[in-house]
Amino acid sequence: MMKYFFQRVLALVITLFIILTVAFLVIRLMPGSIYDSNESLSAEMVKILEDKYHLNDPMIVQYRYFLEDIIVRGDWGTSVAVQPRVPVWEVLGSKIPVTLQLNFISLVIAMPIGIAAGIFAAIYQNTKVDYVISFFVVLFISVPSFIFGSLLQYFLAYKLGWFPIIYNATGVGMAKYLSMVLPITALTFSPVARVTRYLRGELIENLSSEYMLLARTKGLTQLQATVRHSMRNSFVPLANIIIPMFTNILTGSLVVEQIFSVAGVGGLLVASINSSDHTLTIAILIFYSLISLVTILIVDLSYGLIDPRVRIGGGSYD
Amino acid sequence: MSDKILQVKNLCVSFSSYAGKVQAVRDVSFDLYRGETLSIVGESGSGKSVTTKAVLGILSGNATIESGEILYNGADLAKFQDKDFADIRGKKISLVFQDPLSALNPIMKIGKQIVEALVLSGSTPKGEAKEKALDLMRRVGIPQPEIRFNQYPFQFSGGMRQRIVIAIALASDPEILICDEPTTALDVTIQAQILELINEIKERSSLSIIFITHDLGVVANVADRVAVMYAGRIVEYGRSEEIFYNPKNPYTWALLSSMPDLDTKEQLFSIPGTPPNMLYPPPGDAFHERNQYALKIDQREAPPFFRVSDTHYAATWLLDPRAPKVDPPPILTERIARMKRRAEDVR
Repeated sequence: MMKYFFQRVLALVITLFIILTVAFLVIRLMPGSIYDSNESLSAEMVKILEDKYHLNDPMIVQYRYFLEDIIVRGDWGTSVAVQPRVPVWEVLGSKIPVTLQLNFISLVIAMPIGIAAGIFAAIYQNTKVDYVISFFVVLFISVPSFIFGSLLQYFLAYKLGWFPIIYNATGVGMAKYLSMVLPITALTFSPVARVTRYLRGELIENLSSEYMLLARTKGLTQLQATVRHSMRNSFVPLANIIIPMFTNILTGSLVVEQIFSVAGVGGLLVASINSSDHTLTIAILIFYSLISLVTILIVDLSYGLIDPRVRIGGGSYD
Repeated sequence: MSDKILQVKNLCVSFSSYAGKVQAVRDVSFDLYRGETLSIVGESGSGKSVTTKAVLGILSGNATIESGEILYNGADLAKFQDKDFADIRGKKISLVFQDPLSALNPIMKIGKQIVEALVLSGSTPKGEAKEKALDLMRRVGIPQPEIRFNQYPFQFSGGMRQRIVIAIALASDPEILICDEPTTALDVTIQAQILELINEIKERSSLSIIFITHDLGVVANVADRVAVMYAGRIVEYGRSEEIFYNPKNPYTWALLSSMPDLDTKEQLFSIPGTPPNMLYPPPGDAFHERNQYALKIDQREAPPFFRVSDTHYAATWLLDPRAPKVDPPPILTERIARMKRRAEDVR
């Protein structure tokens, strides 16, 4: 298990390095530079920037300095346009909590709803209940979250006025919570549908399994057998789709944050690209990559913790 | 031996499918006596498993019991609702499955699965369950039960898993044990061990066993009485010796002839054709299309049971006094003669 752990961590580090390289190349090879959109920069300022990022050297030399700064000195640079002279991680750090809060809450809300709907759909398989649930699953999976965001904003906020139209970051108490409702709801549809669809499939398979029949002949009622055997077994693979779903919501929220003017990481990314704030863009890309990679790492490791077949059998499925 | 513990009378079970109604079991009747092993033999799709699933009320959702009675202790199990089976399943009647590889919950510890059965049977308080589960594991021949108790099914071989399934079936100390092809998924040496185990258990605890199989070699090992099924009907039943030494139904002849045999050099006999589609069961005797001894009446009318002896009945028109006299095929008569000689040698 320890060896496996280190293998996974090593793979994570290598992947991160590759992403860093690609991000550097893409950003530096992009046409346009910080000077284009920022004509007010003084000549000294330009000189300082050129020296710091070695912009007059060949690309490969720039890359060496770039790595040296990050790996040896831990210096990711400062923002030049979005929040000039503030270190990028500080800029990012002020936005991350907002984004994570929205995403985390929507995941927490989505799970019980998805699980309940999945269980109902499986138990009432091929009945009207199942058909209605399946209809909404298809709808929620195929329509992207920003469409739901716009619709919610138009009908519930603009027409009915139940909620504020945009996110209220400075509000306190109820005002703030009310303004969070719509973005969170928009982000919740897709994970609900994913959990429902996955659990329905797993549960139906488990319900018709031989060991369910054995459980019934032991004297368990259908309900007891479903809860003790089928559901338990269906939740094991479910754990492995819920964790990566966090990354999914996070990418969905890039756009939803724009709709509701949430001052989160999504808005920051778009702003940094538009203003050629390259150091900031790279830092945000690394932040998103790191979150995806860590969730994948957690999934890989949790397989072993949750499923005895992997833990004891050394990965050999039966 | 005269005490009937389970009576199945005129049982009909059908499955509704998109194509129509599949008549899986048609008018099946049999009795199970206390302490005996009744073997139900037939090819795939003959309705043997469906019959026993009906007894336990675990037919799949699209199946219905059309008519008939399943009498146990004065109650008719055919009319039971799911909740009524609470006193039957895992208490009085237990089932051993065909495929031990998929019958156990893959991510639950073996010990826990046995304990669950023990506690549910109501005979064992939770505190004593573990000790009793270990006892059961010893009884079915699991070495080092203390270690095995905390392991998972994938750490067990097929034969060992079937022993566990048997242990679970025995947990409630049932009166009737239904074995649904318990050795089919196992290789031959393990088969012999499992059959020995089942025989041993039966002798020790005076169980009544319904043993379903398509393997006549297995039947000879375990059965007191045999019922032969074809296309949802019982076509012949009698004591083991009667079925093996004096079969009367052409289908039984065909089954016995198609058993592999080490002593002949002839090509192995196989029954021509395929079993009938039970969406449209053929009129008359369902076997007539594949039966070289079929009479004209077989196409029109299903044969009733003719008495061969007090314990042996066969449903074939060949036994009608008006029918021409037909002898079993020579392959079979020779084989029966050999079997008899061998039996005498053993004695």
